Amino acid sequence: MKRRKMLVRMITASLLRRRSRMLVALLAIAIGATILSGLVTIYVDVPQQMGAQFRNYGANMIFMPAEESFTDADMQESLSTISSKELVGATPYQYNTVRIHEQPILAAGTDMAAVQKTSPYWLVEGQYPAKTHEILVGKNVAESLELSVGESVTVSFTPEDKSKLDSTIDFQITGILNTGGSEEEYVYVSMEDMEELTALPAHLDIAEISVSAGSAQLQTYVDEINAGNTDISANLVKRVTASETTVLSKLQALVLLVTVIVLALTMICVATTMTAVVSERRSEIGLKKAIGASDSGIIAEFMGEGILLGGLGGILGSVVGFAFAQFVSVNVFGSYISFRLLLLPITIIVSIAVTSVACLLPIRSATSVDPALVLKGE
Amino acid sequence: MFFKMIRGTLLHQWKKMLMIALTIALGSSLATAMISVVMDVGDKVNQELKAYGANITVVPKQSSIVSNLYDVEDETPGSAYLKESELGNIKTIFWAFNIVDFAPFVTTTAALPDGTEIHVVGSWFNHHLDLPTGEQLDAGMSSLRSWWDIREGQWIDEQSDTGTDVVMIGAALADQEQISVGDQISFSGSASDAKLTVVGIYESGGDEDNQAYVPLHVAQSLADLSGSIGSIEVSALTTPDNELAKKAAKDPSSLTVAQYEVWYCTAYASSICYQIQEVITDSVASPVRQVADSEGAILDKTELLMLLIMFLSLVGSALGISNLVTASVMERSGEIGLMKAIGAYNRSVTALVLTEILIASIIGGVVGFFAGIGFAQIIGQSVFGSAISIRTVVIPIVGVLVTFVTLAGSIPAIRMLLGLQPAEVLHGR
Amino acid sequence: MSLLEFQNVFKIYGDLHALDDVSFTVDRGEWISIMGPSGSGKSTMMNMIGCMDKPTKGNILLDGVDVAKEPAKKLTDIRRDKIGLIFQQFHLVNYLTALENVMLAQYYHSIPDEQEAMEALERVGLAERAKHLPSQLSGGEQQRVCVARALINHPEIILADEPTGNLDDANEEIVVDLFRKLHEEGTTLIVVTHDPEVGDVAQRQIVLRNGKIARQTVNQNFTGHIRFTE
Repeated sequence: MKRRKMLVRMITASLLRRRSRMLVALLAIAIGATILSGLVTIYVDVPQQMGAQFRNYGANMIFMPAEESFTDADMQESLSTISSKELVGATPYQYNTVRIHEQPILAAGTDMAAVQKTSPYWLVEGQYPAKTHEILVGKNVAESLELSVGESVTVSFTPEDKSKLDSTIDFQITGILNTGGSEEEYVYVSMEDMEELTALPAHLDIAEISVSAGSAQLQTYVDEINAGNTDISANLVKRVTASETTVLSKLQALVLLVTVIVLALTMICVATTMTAVVSERRSEIGLKKAIGASDSGIIAEFMGEGILLGGLGGILGSVVGFAFAQFVSVNVFGSYISFRLLLLPITIIVSIAVTSVACLLPIRSATSVDPALVLKGE
Repeated sequence: MFFKMIRGTLLHQWKKMLMIALTIALGSSLATAMISVVMDVGDKVNQELKAYGANITVVPKQSSIVSNLYDVEDETPGSAYLKESELGNIKTIFWAFNIVDFAPFVTTTAALPDGTEIHVVGSWFNHHLDLPTGEQLDAGMSSLRSWWDIREGQWIDEQSDTGTDVVMIGAALADQEQISVGDQISFSGSASDAKLTVVGIYESGGDEDNQAYVPLHVAQSLADLSGSIGSIEVSALTTPDNELAKKAAKDPSSLTVAQYEVWYCTAYASSICYQIQEVITDSVASPVRQVADSEGAILDKTELLMLLIMFLSLVGSALGISNLVTASVMERSGEIGLMKAIGAYNRSVTALVLTEILIASIIGGVVGFFAGIGFAQIIGQSVFGSAISIRTVVIPIVGVLVTFVTLAGSIPAIRMLLGLQPAEVLHGR
Repeated sequence: MSLLEFQNVFKIYGDLHALDDVSFTVDRGEWISIMGPSGSGKSTMMNMIGCMDKPTKGNILLDGVDVAKEPAKKLTDIRRDKIGLIFQQFHLVNYLTALENVMLAQYYHSIPDEQEAMEALERVGLAERAKHLPSQLSGGEQQRVCVARALINHPEIILADEPTGNLDDANEEIVVDLFRKLHEEGTTLIVVTHDPEVGDVAQRQIVLRNGKIARQTVNQNFTGHIRFTE
């Protein structure tokens, strides 16, 4: 018991009274630990964060009617299968052919707020419709019919039942839609306006769903939904899901490889610094041997210091590393990450291991030196 | 004498010098690798993002919107077409090098023997192009539709002998019509008939599953449209849009001459579109926002992410190097105390130590630079399957960085040296 | 039986005979000085007595054990139990206080005992400096800490290597006075030195030259007090 007390006393004396050198060593370990915890945190979080970026490509799942059409209730029921955390957005669509300036145009009734989530790449000149009787016009439609933002346009719909009169509504154009795709040939109104215009029973033709999940998880959702609701046939948008898997796996591999290389080099760097710090103490090791210390006793002492330094540096590095990862997350992805508790012990253990190995080599070579030579002079 | 002493240090303390050189080599290899990867990561990820398909579509200027609208009017009356003969021009624009792939499309309708009317699309699959620049390119659907799942058979191979009179059928259509690979099917088009062999059945997850894809000339002859194409899809490496690009996209003539130069000479999607319009008569090229916009977002994020990781590793290696320099100078306090005791000026001691460290750092820096190039290639080859191009600008950056870090790292050590009292060092210990 | 006996000891480095057929004995309680110019073999002999080196040929009997035949690890144990070392360069652990430096020797030997270590420092007259670091002590004080450290484990032999080499006359006298007290308490002292003033205090001088014992003289009028020659 008393011996252990003396060991503790010696180690603390060494750490506290050799402040400048110990700071050098501590700094080295802390840098290593910072890089370890920072990069590993980023690596673990990249797929999730990058996955969110890939949602910019829009819907990766679509609901199509198994028969003629499905209802909003069907859609909501199916959506409940998907974890609300992963669900980025779900947009219902109902398509009808309407006439504007006597030209047949395809009009979609939809949820304007949801569209902005499932199709974030839409570029609207002007604004999305917000009030009733407002309309979003595709760029091609606007060009060929010479429509512009702010104008009023009359939209008419001919019911299938020819005996009924055409219904017409005057819409205010709030925006021109620019996508570079077929959406430019449509006009978009709110679901309520569409129902008012067509007087058809509420139904949906298609729904676009954007889910932030890997392809395997998506497939599971699709299978569950198809099994759960017979009115809906869920499909993956292959173009989006397959490509996302390809690109995301590359990005993850990139960060992994970079992490591994940076870590390996950093750890060697930490080791060389520790080696330099320990080598300086050859004469001290010689002295201790001369006054009767056994090799194992000296190794125990230095390991004690190394472990303490490694632990301290590990804790310091974990905190700074997390701060760095948080900084990256906020600046690159604009979101916060939660502290991974598991990383704390891992960082500390790795720091201790690297420090110990780095100390062990020079100590071993120092203990094998003849104490007489060390004491005599150099 | 100065040089003798330095030589002496290098000869007798080579182990310590080797350690300094090693640490500097590690730091410099890290810097080289990270800077190279960061500089190239944009291009590499951009290449990967080509998996999402074309980011620019080119259509004829007069293209009636009605014809494209959902079967509203199937019979497209002599509307506008692009000229097939001008396709090669796409690879002659200023940003030709950035065009990685493109394919023309002609869509027509044809009837199957049982009378079912289907859409038949003619295109390139792996069309071989010999460009005037001497470059060669295999362009077409097989790379532009990388997400298609070939359920049965294979892609149409235009370069083989059997590359004509063949057809690929969408999965839904194949199921409905009980078609399988190897079948011969007659298509009767508006102008002529064709007997085609099914070589592949694909699943696209979209409308294409109800269509049939044939080589360009087959579709052209079915509809009597030889020499004409309906649209072109272009896959280009682009720079993410900024304010200038947005302004230019609306109206290039609103730019000042200087702004125009910058815009025209930057690979924005809008400037590439503009240049394509210049070489294809009566065409409208526009970016596919779903692809172009998302590419921009992902590229920006990836580059920023790598930049920050690079920053962290540079700071790490800088601190590591300066730390080791400090540690190794501390270790030599006895020797330096002796030099001061026998009358060395602070200035000459500093010069000696700095020269020694600089020699070690130059050796370490050079070795590390080449090791770093190696690391960059490991990353490039194993992640992207292609070499990371090493830019010459990396050399001065790493050189300045290593020199600066080494000198900065020596400051605490030198300060400590100057503070050393020779008597203390030689006696106290 | 004598405490230490060299029997025809040789130490040969290549062509150099650092020790060349050396034989002598030291009895328990004796105060011996080993003298000679640089290169005469003093240090080699000191390392062998201190169990830090082995002879090329010959036997060294320490308390009846042939040190030359023991393995390196055993030598550490023997040194720890039987020998207290004092160095010219003092060699204190620079981050430990005077008291802790003394306790360090106890720690490696058996169990640290602060009380006993404090008493040792009192004996060398440094009780009030116990909490000071080596850098805060004068050369003489550091050497006295060394002496306290050497005697803390009650060794059979105190082996001092140029103990006064770095000290002025006043401190030299203090250290020699300490040796005399130890001698009076019955400790065996072997002092390696080239300083005749210190060497002449001992009961017997062994003078080395070129690796051989040139002469041995017994101090007829031994007082244990240093006599400075002007």
